[in-house]
Amino acid sequence: MSDTDTTTNADGAEVRTDGTGIVPPDDETPTWSERKARSQGLARLTYEYFERSRREDQDLRQQSSYVERDVLAFPTWPHEMIRNLALVSFFVGMIVFLSAALPPHIGPPADSSSTPAVILPDWYLYWSFGLLKLGPLNPDISLLGGQKLMADRTYGVLANVVIVGFVAIVPFLNKGAARRPVEQPFWAAVGMSGVVFAFTIAVLSVKNLVPMDSHVIFDLTFFLPLVAAFVTYAVLRSMREGYMFNLNRRYYRLRPPK
Amino acid sequence: MPLDEDKYPAETGRRRFVKGVVGSAALASVGTGGAAAVNTTTSQSGGGGGPTQYVAIENTAGPAPRGMPIVPVEVTSDGEIRGVFPEAETEEVGGVERVVAETDMGGITYSSQWFQYCGIEQYEGAQPEADADNLLRAASGENYAWQEDLEAGEPLTVDMFEDYESWGNGIGKGGLGKPAAARWRSETEGAKTIPVQVLRTPELPKMINGEQGFRDYSTIPQNIRSFLGAATEENFMAWLNKCTHFCCVPGYKKLEGSADFGGENGVYCQCHQSVYDPFSPTRVQFIARPRPTE
Repeated sequence: MSDTDTTTNADGAEVRTDGTGIVPPDDETPTWSERKARSQGLARLTYEYFERSRREDQDLRQQSSYVERDVLAFPTWPHEMIRNLALVSFFVGMIVFLSAALPPHIGPPADSSSTPAVILPDWYLYWSFGLLKLGPLNPDISLLGGQKLMADRTYGVLANVVIVGFVAIVPFLNKGAARRPVEQPFWAAVGMSGVVFAFTIAVLSVKNLVPMDSHVIFDLTFFLPLVAAFVTYAVLRSMREGYMFNLNRRYYRLRPPK
Repeated sequence: MPLDEDKYPAETGRRRFVKGVVGSAALASVGTGGAAAVNTTTSQSGGGGGPTQYVAIENTAGPAPRGMPIVPVEVTSDGEIRGVFPEAETEEVGGVERVVAETDMGGITYSSQWFQYCGIEQYEGAQPEADADNLLRAASGENYAWQEDLEAGEPLTVDMFEDYESWGNGIGKGGLGKPAAARWRSETEGAKTIPVQVLRTPELPKMINGEQGFRDYSTIPQNIRSFLGAATEENFMAWLNKCTHFCCVPGYKKLEGSADFGGENGVYCQCHQSVYDPFSPTRVQFIARPRPTE
């Protein structure tokens, strides 16, 4: 037994260490204490060790009659199909039950020769309806002699494009890595102003029913989101300062400054 | 070695031929279909229509693009109020016969094309040849309180408007005239209702003479004043009550909320808060939609 890197078998043949000639442990195999006494060759030793276990594993697999497969999912039939059938019949049953229990109200056909006094879209479309009422923001172009570049109604439709476009862009500007608003007060403020704007623009759309001056409503529509943004930012910043204060206090309690 | 040496299937003469036939057939069908589509979308789909000048009650606020067209009225010998509709004539333009209904009204050409917007061009009553007596009849549905005891379809008569110089309903300034919601040329079975607003107002003579009244009427141009003189009678005026914005049916002094939008003395549309001023007739132009042709 030598301390060199190459070991020899009992019959004098050199042991290959590329994994092809690994032999089961025998008398030639260094003991743990011998191995521990070595000060070099640890990398090779590790390599031999793992190569041997891999080889043993491979031998076991080859001896076995078990056909190894990767299991990625349950089979479609019957597992998935039975489950899906159960889900589908539940929801179809719910639809049939609800439509039988709550027959729809079918009103008279629309009368184009009269308009009801209160006429509004469904509530979840108020924000878009409000965007159609942004006519006062449509600029008069002095080059065109005070004419507007586009009709107020075209302007209102384009406002929808702008808003939906902004909502679509925000995820690209901020990936939302923060778990809680205090981590990113600015983006939390942007979000809060958006939420408030969704509400105020909805109120603007029903301005004829709100007991307030319509010009005040129009101004508040854009002012309140800004207020909400500032308040959110201020609150979150001060909350963060508070957290830092607590952290600092604990820190300095542990190690009082000199 | 050519780049496509291992391409499957191999390029053969027969294959190239089939590809050519299929490709040219596809191209030809796309071309023909496109030409047919362009043809159907750009060809004129009906009679009449096109740029039309008309006299409107002015749109003073809101998103509406222009005012609502004035309907000339006359009072019959029985005291019934009738909306004038021009006689239909068939004239030949460029070898094509077409029906036109237009007449001279105080120097301004009054045409049935004035009413061809918002789908009204498809209504029976908007067709020049329609069989109608042109009487303005009380509209059905919720209208002015004074109209409640009127039967829907009952012709409006002058004596219903006796109190027009003092009438008021608490909306805006009283004494500006008495309105009525009417329908016009809509009595045929299955015809759609054309809504018309009738207003008998003491302001009319001042508007025609260009005097100072509720507003300063001296700014109204002479040709519009002479049109008003020809298109009104016994202080009755009328306009097609269809908002030019999205085709709602607004009302003159009909809703309390109109005061918030400056429409308490005018016509206020509750849908998008457009306001029209019947005391400010203007001449505007729009592109009339074509009537359907059989």
